[in-house]
Amino acid sequence: MRYSWLTGLAALLMLSPVHAQQSAPAHVGIPVLVPITGFLSLEGTSQRNGAVLAIRNAPPNLRVQYDVVDTSVSPEGAVNALERALDRGSVSAVVASMLGTQMLAMLPIALERKVPLITVSGTAQITEMGNPYVFRFFPGDDVTKVAHVRYAVEELGLRRLALVYQTTAYGQSGRRHIVENLAKHGLSPVFEEALEVQVRDMLPVLSKAMAANPDGILIHLHSGPTALFIRQAAAMGVGIPIIAGSAMHQPPTAALLEPEELRGVCAEANASPVSGGTPEMERFLQQYREMFSVEPDGFALGQYDGTMMVLEAVSKGARTAAEVARALADMRYEGIAMTYKSDGRGNMAHSAVIMCFDGRTRVPKVVKRYDNITGALTP
Amino acid sequence: MLTLQLLVNGIALGAAYALCALGFVLVLNATGAVNFAQGDMVMAGGFVAIALVSLWPVPGLVLLPAVVLITGLLGLVFSAIGYFPLKSRPPVSVFISTIALGVIFQNVAMVTFGPEPRATPPLLVAGNVDVGGLTVSIQAIAVILIAALLVGGQHVLLMRTRLGQSLRATAQDREMAAALGIRVNLMIALTFALSTALAGVAGLLLANTYFVTPTDGTNYILKAYIAATIGGWGRLHGAIAGAMLIAVFEVMFPALPLLIPVLPVAIHGMFSQTSASIVLYLALLAVLFLRPQGLFGEIAQRRA
Repeated sequence: MRYSWLTGLAALLMLSPVHAQQSAPAHVGIPVLVPITGFLSLEGTSQRNGAVLAIRNAPPNLRVQYDVVDTSVSPEGAVNALERALDRGSVSAVVASMLGTQMLAMLPIALERKVPLITVSGTAQITEMGNPYVFRFFPGDDVTKVAHVRYAVEELGLRRLALVYQTTAYGQSGRRHIVENLAKHGLSPVFEEALEVQVRDMLPVLSKAMAANPDGILIHLHSGPTALFIRQAAAMGVGIPIIAGSAMHQPPTAALLEPEELRGVCAEANASPVSGGTPEMERFLQQYREMFSVEPDGFALGQYDGTMMVLEAVSKGARTAAEVARALADMRYEGIAMTYKSDGRGNMAHSAVIMCFDGRTRVPKVVKRYDNITGALTP
Repeated sequence: MLTLQLLVNGIALGAAYALCALGFVLVLNATGAVNFAQGDMVMAGGFVAIALVSLWPVPGLVLLPAVVLITGLLGLVFSAIGYFPLKSRPPVSVFISTIALGVIFQNVAMVTFGPEPRATPPLLVAGNVDVGGLTVSIQAIAVILIAALLVGGQHVLLMRTRLGQSLRATAQDREMAAALGIRVNLMIALTFALSTALAGVAGLLLANTYFVTPTDGTNYILKAYIAATIGGWGRLHGAIAGAMLIAVFEVMFPALPLLIPVLPVAIHGMFSQTSASIVLYLALLAVLFLRPQGLFGEIAQRRA
């Protein structure tokens, strides 16, 4: 009788939640809702890969459940995907589209359902709406364009800069921040022009830019146009530095150009994973190549770091989505690309790097690092 | 010198646009239907070349016959799925089916090749040549020559051969052609094959200089549509002229402040790539209002 009482007590203890918490892996639901098709598919695929690799590297005390859903590029596609994912079961956080219009559509749902959205979207507005459930792990233009302009002006000593940017929201935002930062140095562009994404021939804009006698060119273009611009510049032999936006750091962009065409070209980004540099970065690079058979970019790394931060929050005890959101808002996380901490609005990334190509390979070297540009990391 | 440089670039771009527009008009004449997937066939040609070169790394010129063959076969499949089952339905059914097939092609390319921009190999070699102080890319010269050869060959095919006569007879009046013993369905299928082969070559030519992504087709079909409208709906030489006009305009207009130094500096900002698009579409509207038959008159009477 006494024996059976002890056995019963032991069984009760084994089934208790306390015991389950100590031994059974905690459940984490992280739907990955990103644009895998449509015009942002290159970046969306990087986002997916980064998140999936992070989930594969989840701490052993976690059991992660995830689905990848293609949101394409319509806001309603993203909203439907989010609602379906939330209705399916317990969700700790959502890897959410980097497309700003989709994020804006998803934000009210995240607020209503108290679920954090983890993204690498560059759209400034998403963290300006007072929504405590959005966390951006890629530096916005308020960070990257500071590095872009400071490198050109302070490191290269350029004073007469031409500016070529895209007509899209991405391009307009970059242009605004570049012009503002140039003004802080007492400068304004000697030439500026916006290009549509469909523009094929860069000779006219380059001819006009060179006619303004610049000593350097800042470009803020998407991947294809960046490669077209740099190829045309090489063919013309412009002979002045070109400092590009983050599209140039993406390996598929560099793959479109011959190494010689890239000589003297620099670019800003959150990081340059293909350049390696630290043991953690090298490990990430190797795993990424093995798993996806492509080269990673900064978007993949940003999403990897963001997802790992979520997993660490859950591993340390955050159980509900609201608890994960609170942890993300309060934690400081040492990622592979940089140190992440919320500025109180969900902007987690505050550093940028400048990388340059030497004309011999398509792998750039990081030449300058700008940390804590916003000051959010300062205790 | 800059004028000549821009002109060469414009003609090279226009030559590739012309191949796409030509194929568009061929199908339009043969079936009376607008093929909205013609731009996606340009994209497909680029990716076919990329797939081939990954197996067989040779210059684009060597790949050209294979690209023609594969995209031509693609055209036969396209007609079997997208046209023949719907040919007795209203034209709207056909052009919706071409939109659907275009989206399918885009997504197949996306899944197969990924979303990133890719480049096809140069037709001969990469690099530039100096022609009397003018720096011209070898690819641009090769594009112009290949496109000219294909346009000429297509003209000979249509005007000097029995097959061409049958194709033209089918395009002019399908019932009468059938009454004369011409195998109309075969002629229409061959027209699709010819059309997609031309688009495929355009893809091979364009993707070396301007790269290719799975979603590029939309831009090319717009260019083909505008070229056909400006040149005269259904006019083959009108489509070629329209394509050339569009490309040369796209390249020259933004550079006008450099080409015409007397233009007041205050209005230089009006001559940008963005305003070039606005002016191009305004010109299209002007053609529709003032000369709806296009520059060379209209053959096909029904527009989608």
